[in-house]
Amino acid sequence: MKLSLSAVEWNAGSWKFRADETFTPGVHLVSGRVGSGKTTLALLSARLLQPDAGAVEYEDIRSRTLSFQYPEYHITGSTLHEEAESYGVNPSAACARAGLAGRWDEDPFRLSRGELKLFQLSCLFMRQWDLLILDEPFSALDCRGKLAVCRSIGENRSGIVLVSTHEQHILPKTDYLWEMRTGKLTFRGPLPEAITAWESAPGPVRMLREQGVIPANLTRDDILEAVCRMHE
Amino acid sequence: MQDARIRLFSFVSLSIATFLSVPGAVLSLGWLLLSPGTLRETMKSAAFWVILLFVTIIATATQMSGNDGLSYFIRTGVIILLGFSVYREWHPGEYLDLSVWLFGKKAGFDIGLAVEMSIQGLHEASREFARIRSALSLKGLQPGIRLIPAVGFLMIHTRLMRARDQADLLATRGYRAGGSCCPVFRTSNRDITMGILAILVVFLSFMPVRDIFILQM
Repeated sequence: MKLSLSAVEWNAGSWKFRADETFTPGVHLVSGRVGSGKTTLALLSARLLQPDAGAVEYEDIRSRTLSFQYPEYHITGSTLHEEAESYGVNPSAACARAGLAGRWDEDPFRLSRGELKLFQLSCLFMRQWDLLILDEPFSALDCRGKLAVCRSIGENRSGIVLVSTHEQHILPKTDYLWEMRTGKLTFRGPLPEAITAWESAPGPVRMLREQGVIPANLTRDDILEAVCRMHE
Repeated sequence: MQDARIRLFSFVSLSIATFLSVPGAVLSLGWLLLSPGTLRETMKSAAFWVILLFVTIIATATQMSGNDGLSYFIRTGVIILLGFSVYREWHPGEYLDLSVWLFGKKAGFDIGLAVEMSIQGLHEASREFARIRSALSLKGLQPGIRLIPAVGFLMIHTRLMRARDQADLLATRGYRAGGSCCPVFRTSNRDITMGILAILVVFLSFMPVRDIFILQM
């Protein structure tokens, strides 16, 4: 199973997106500042955007989906029941998974953005995807919600999971690290080796790195374990 | 064109010329062809072709009923093309500058702010519609009549949410009426040339064709 972006270019005025990389099964974390091109990467990878040059190629990818940053865009049903059915998942199970047990007859627009985001992600995580692209999956979520999403991402690592985020504190267990910098996609490598080369590393990771301590991965437990090592 | 004042002036002049006569419309089209980049971008707009389709239907019906449908098609088509081209060339903040320059810091600021927010809203609605279409395709749903209520409701909902946020933001910043804005315009030689050509088009559209072309019998 492989997702290849072969010499891909996409232009928006003077801004240019460039990528020439391959994604294999596992969790790929794509970090980068706001406006660096993470959403463009997500759209191109999902083949929702046609590149101006190059090609986006799928190998043995039979199912793929993308979760937009704003969950409202995905709404097509007038109740959570209809909404869950539109994803082909069991409505009561989806509600329960999102912490909305028994609220299946509610209007999706009456939920807070955080609740809606968690519900939409829960629906996606209830299915198996060869290619799962999550654009800013942690936005609008509280700490508990972010940890729940991290757990679910970990359960889906048999396929290619692309997580683009600028989240600084709660991150999923990651196999490969990527960076988007002014439109250019750069592979930093597998974890934990990639951490030393991570230019836009979050504050806690930078602090640990400065102390000469490299966490085994990016989960909250890994960071806490590394903090303990710092005092050894 | 960089200068919004000349662009607006040219747009108004060419719209009048186009409305007045078919030669005026043809000359306006020629004026538009002097900016092929903008014209090319305008032609990519699906909304432009949808509107043009309706114009074609009305023009055909007019022609078939014995009236001058062709003239209606040419003139209306060029006016729509002009409108889309001006919309394409918009840069954030320039209509606020233009309005303040025209009407002052009180009424001008309010009008400019309303225009800016409306155009920005149109741009956002267009982006949102593209995202919604993508989300539908990801669910394996084909856009159709059944989905119109859902998509329409979603678009209205997101617009209302955005409007509420903008209103809160303006209130938080202490906006009541009017505001301080120092308009800045950059005028290139090309802008001046295009402006003069637009005046020329208006002038020529007033003249009968036989006065422009000396036809020998």
